[in-house]
Amino acid sequence: MFERFTKDARAVVEGAVGHAEREGAARVEETHVLLSLLDREGSRGSFALASLGLPPGGRAGLVRDLDETRRRGGLSRADADALSGLGIDLSEIVSRVEETHGEGALAAAGRGGLFGGRSGRRPFGRGAKDLLTGTLRVAVAHGERHIGDEHLLLALTTRRGVPSEILADHGVTHASLTRVLYGDSSGGEPGDAAEAKAG
Amino acid sequence: MTEATNLAERAGDRDPRVGLRAVAALRRLLEQLEAVQVRSARNQGWSWQEIAAELGVSRQAVHKKYGRH
Repeated sequence: MFERFTKDARAVVEGAVGHAEREGAARVEETHVLLSLLDREGSRGSFALASLGLPPGGRAGLVRDLDETRRRGGLSRADADALSGLGIDLSEIVSRVEETHGEGALAAAGRGGLFGGRSGRRPFGRGAKDLLTGTLRVAVAHGERHIGDEHLLLALTTRRGVPSEILADHGVTHASLTRVLYGDSSGGEPGDAAEAKAG
Repeated sequence: MTEATNLAERAGDRDPRVGLRAVAALRRLLEQLEAVQVRSARNQGWSWQEIAAELGVSRQAVHKKYGRH
């Protein structure tokens, strides 16, 4: 599959590994792929983001939202909202845990070892692996032989979870991406999109 | 509209999605809190047996989950 990846798509995958390593994460997750996608300039994915109001210099808000989510132990704003429906104040829990265990304690909980980060190459987590497989499906559905970083971005938006939620909060959805990449007439990957929504 | 406000608006409709989402979020939060507490206990020299007893699980279960790191 990787031989079909364009230079940009390969760079995104490599960059995702780098993000996971710098974070001290045990595995490469979809959030690392998103961070890496946001680093790109001059690629098709980057142009698509720019068309949706997120040029290379204007993606700090998205990165900040991802950071906040990590600080909450990977729980998104929608998760926090659902919890507040139960009377649970997630931000209160986060700040109390941080008071006792230090800043970013919940974020650190998701890291590989209990005793510091591992060295060596990170494996891809299940979600990130599924994302790569989904990317192939997206490219094939659009009749494209090569897999570009725009397909990684599209595949991310069809999946449940933090990356697609944060992207949607910033106006990047499967529908809006399909529009800027392929024009209104193309239906994109309706199967995947419907699947993601119907869950 | 963000997904968060979307959910907030549905909360009044007894949409099962809201409740299920809350349970899933709570489960994830629980996992993270457990990891924080287990790490803290280990750093303070607690044995796996002592940690397991407090958590109400077997020593093997807690060691398998956190031990090999």
